[in-house]
Amino acid sequence: MSKLFFDQLLVLDEVEGEIKKIAKTREEKEELWGLVDEMVHHRVLGCVLDKLPRENHEEFLERFHAAPQDESLLDYLKEKIGDNIDELIRQEIGDLAFELLEDIRAEKK
Amino acid sequence: MGGKLPTQTYQGIARDKVDFDYLRNHLKVKHLEAKNAFSKKYPHVEKFLKEKGLDVGKIREHSAKIIGAGALTGTLLLTPPTGTKSLPPPQEVLEKVREKASAAGLPQKILVDSLAAVLPEKTRPLDRSEEKYLERIFEDILGIKAKANLEGEHLNTSYGLIGAEQHLKRYPGDVIGNHAPYLKEGIAPGLGAWGYFARSRADISPSLEETEKWYAVVQTLYLPDWSSRQPYLRDWYKYRKVLIVNTDNGNAVIAAIADSGPAAWTGKHFGGSPEVMEYLGGPRYKKGPVVLFFVDDPQNKVPLGPVEYNKVNLPQLALVET
Repeated sequence: MSKLFFDQLLVLDEVEGEIKKIAKTREEKEELWGLVDEMVHHRVLGCVLDKLPRENHEEFLERFHAAPQDESLLDYLKEKIGDNIDELIRQEIGDLAFELLEDIRAEKK
Repeated sequence: MGGKLPTQTYQGIARDKVDFDYLRNHLKVKHLEAKNAFSKKYPHVEKFLKEKGLDVGKIREHSAKIIGAGALTGTLLLTPPTGTKSLPPPQEVLEKVREKASAAGLPQKILVDSLAAVLPEKTRPLDRSEEKYLERIFEDILGIKAKANLEGEHLNTSYGLIGAEQHLKRYPGDVIGNHAPYLKEGIAPGLGAWGYFARSRADISPSLEETEKWYAVVQTLYLPDWSSRQPYLRDWYKYRKVLIVNTDNGNAVIAAIADSGPAAWTGKHFGGSPEVMEYLGGPRYKKGPVVLFFVDDPQNKVPLGPVEYNKVNLPQLALVET
């Protein structure tokens, strides 16, 4: 089982569609998916840590390490950050999707 | 004299291969940039995670290990799952279901109500007791013996979002025109996880045609033991029959697993062929919550396709667009 607390906020269907057009086998598809997945993790965690006060970083990381799937981490972040963290993560992922799609489509021209 | 000069052999490289290599290299560079930027900006985080033996890029694997260990010890999640309902004993639920069945005579409504009584509002991995309830409810109302855990195999989640997939190529040269009447969905450029269904058009049997028609996609790639238990798992999942129930309207279909996916970052957990999606939710149904269990059918007697327990349809629920 594999689940991360921010999974529900990820919607990169268009990127998936483009990868499916290019990858011809299961192995190729899954390799590209894995690379995108790792980028998503870096970008989401970066987005969270940017907004989270420095003194809360360690507590957040402890909780995240203990239960990366726990959706109550979003509640914790909302409490500490104040901003709408859901929206910030969505925006970050939207930016990543835009960059990836732009790159993929540029190659096709 | 025919043939190409050595300096022209690049012309023989398939264009799609170049696309793949280009994209892979490009993603690798972009991935490295993201990783380096993260390390530079958050050295204390990098240090913390390193001490814990955790790589940010491999968080999903870490999650799989944690949840897998929790499932083994009987605690599915470290914290109580959100939306857990306090359930009465299974027999009580079934008695109520039977009473309603005889009083109302609308099995579809009974199924929808029973699912609503058991399932949380948002999709998430179910715990064992919730899955046991559903197994009983499905056998009682649909007449289908289906299990979340079959022969020791269990998917990452049995309650998640299903998304629309394209047709799959059944044999070399297969084109969308051969997949009427659902043509607008298109045909996937790549192959399903198990390649072509047959070596040629002449080799495709009616049974394999049905398999492509009623196919499902599940996230085998995220199973914690997927890599370590090959080739057993690849064979076990190939064309494995599953029961998919649309929890919004009770429509149910038996499908065969024929591809892996969707990617975790799509927010979806399963996929369905154009035929599967049409039956589950109608022509505009692209995404929605479903329960997906393995069909316990050692004699191979349960046919693929719609589970027609609901001859009396509920028009207000039959087509759900999300």
